[in-house]
Amino acid sequence: MTLAPATTGFTPETFDAFLRSRNEPEWLVNLRKHCWEAFQRMDWPARNDEEWIRTDIRLLKLSQFGLPVDAAKPEVAVPSLLSEGVQLAGHVSSIDGRPQTATLDEKWRAKGVIFGSLDEVAKTHSDLVQKYLLTRAVNPEYDRFAALHGACWSGGHFLYVPRNVSIGDPFHFISALRGGGADLSHTLIVLEEGAEATVMCETASLPVAGGATGAGFHNGATEVILAPRAMLRLVSLQNWSDQVWNFAHQKALVGHDSSLQWTIAAMGSRLSKVNQHVELCGKGAECQVNGVLFTEGKQHISYHTLQHHAAPGCRSDFLYKAALQDKSRTVWRGMIKVDPLAQKTDGYQRNDNLMLSTEARADSIPGLEIEADDVRCTHGSTTGKVDEELIFYAQARGLTRQEATRIIVSGFFQQIFDRITIESVRNALGHAILRRVREYS
Amino acid sequence: MPDFVKTVPVAELADPGKELLEVGERVVVLFHVGGKFFCIDDVCTHDGGPLSDGELDDHTIACPRHGAKFDICTGKALTMPATEDTVAHQVEVRDGWVWVKLSEE
Repeated sequence: MTLAPATTGFTPETFDAFLRSRNEPEWLVNLRKHCWEAFQRMDWPARNDEEWIRTDIRLLKLSQFGLPVDAAKPEVAVPSLLSEGVQLAGHVSSIDGRPQTATLDEKWRAKGVIFGSLDEVAKTHSDLVQKYLLTRAVNPEYDRFAALHGACWSGGHFLYVPRNVSIGDPFHFISALRGGGADLSHTLIVLEEGAEATVMCETASLPVAGGATGAGFHNGATEVILAPRAMLRLVSLQNWSDQVWNFAHQKALVGHDSSLQWTIAAMGSRLSKVNQHVELCGKGAECQVNGVLFTEGKQHISYHTLQHHAAPGCRSDFLYKAALQDKSRTVWRGMIKVDPLAQKTDGYQRNDNLMLSTEARADSIPGLEIEADDVRCTHGSTTGKVDEELIFYAQARGLTRQEATRIIVSGFFQQIFDRITIESVRNALGHAILRRVREYS
Repeated sequence: MPDFVKTVPVAELADPGKELLEVGERVVVLFHVGGKFFCIDDVCTHDGGPLSDGELDDHTIACPRHGAKFDICTGKALTMPATEDTVAHQVEVRDGWVWVKLSEE
């Protein structure tokens, strides 16, 4: 059965119909209503707000999109870049915010792992979800997008790993959009003390009639909560079509002696505005964030990162690398924030931009806000063109100009690929980027 | 090639005056100065932000953030910190309406 996405806008009437269609616990209905009131009360971000000054959303027409107000399950295959040939511990997929499939290896279910569509788990494990959903990590009243997400999320993903359970095989989440569809998926990952897991999240746009992908709207959130001595490897691949508006609030809380390795790859969307926040809230916590951005055409991708040291002796390392083609644009605005009690902090942030066209534009704005006096915090940013001498060197050895450009782009991202421990992810990202690279001009 | 798009009635825009418009997939500023209409992209080429809130002085608009000035007739960047021209579009008046034809980028 193929269903057309709802295109009825985000109105009080469609919100009521959405609530009625979901049959959710009372606390969740109340949370949604609270967020909807905030959405109604708040204005869209002002153009002169520092966070939005470089990101123009005036052409976003929310009325073009709508909520999934029926419980239908679209039966459409969702192709994955990351999970092909990989032995998975579990898999969840959704289309246009409607849950599609959810599987979990029985071995892990027996050990107490809870995994599946957040829509379902919010009913079957209501108390557990209530404890973490939009309570400690993402603030649903941060801005109007966050409030809309809090009110209308659907097609979400949930993973809970109990104490001291270590899972080698990765979990896989995929959210897909069809033309005119909206995806407000919420990802919630909770690892208890000493737990270990790997999660791969990805997005995709599905072709509609005629092979085109059509416009779409994603307004998502990711919440990660790591208890002491937990370890999570998280990969997020944003691969929407170039007609999708993409907004996201992402926050991880990293506890005492726990560790987070978070790899972000953003290659799709018409316009992206992502807030990524990691709070190191327990002594000795560590996080490494690796960002790969590749833009082309008239794409605009804006990342606002915050590495917040709220406890002593923590280490954070953010590395974002962007390659820009055609008339595309990236904005990277990073902040290291160190609280007064967070002595012995070791914080690092870096953003490198490789300009593959004279008409592309990269804004890089690193920042430090340090209130402790015994810390090491460093940041850096580079922006440069491809070195013509390198291209000449490669061409002198028989490569075409395009092959030479691809090798140079591949080398630019190698520093991040070397940090990715999952082979399928490393290969998928490498191939996806190199397919997009055209001749340097 | 894009065609002319009907935008606003001539009588709706004061002289001197300006109005923000969406034409196709572009946000542009339409100006009415000295009895003539002009149209440029709502983009300051210095920082990519909007020009439309800037101060209009004769045939010049100043970016409200850093003061870069642009010629509203040609899109030419006149002062620092802008060094690149913004895009100007063709304008015609027909039957009491202003028509805009977007330039190829």
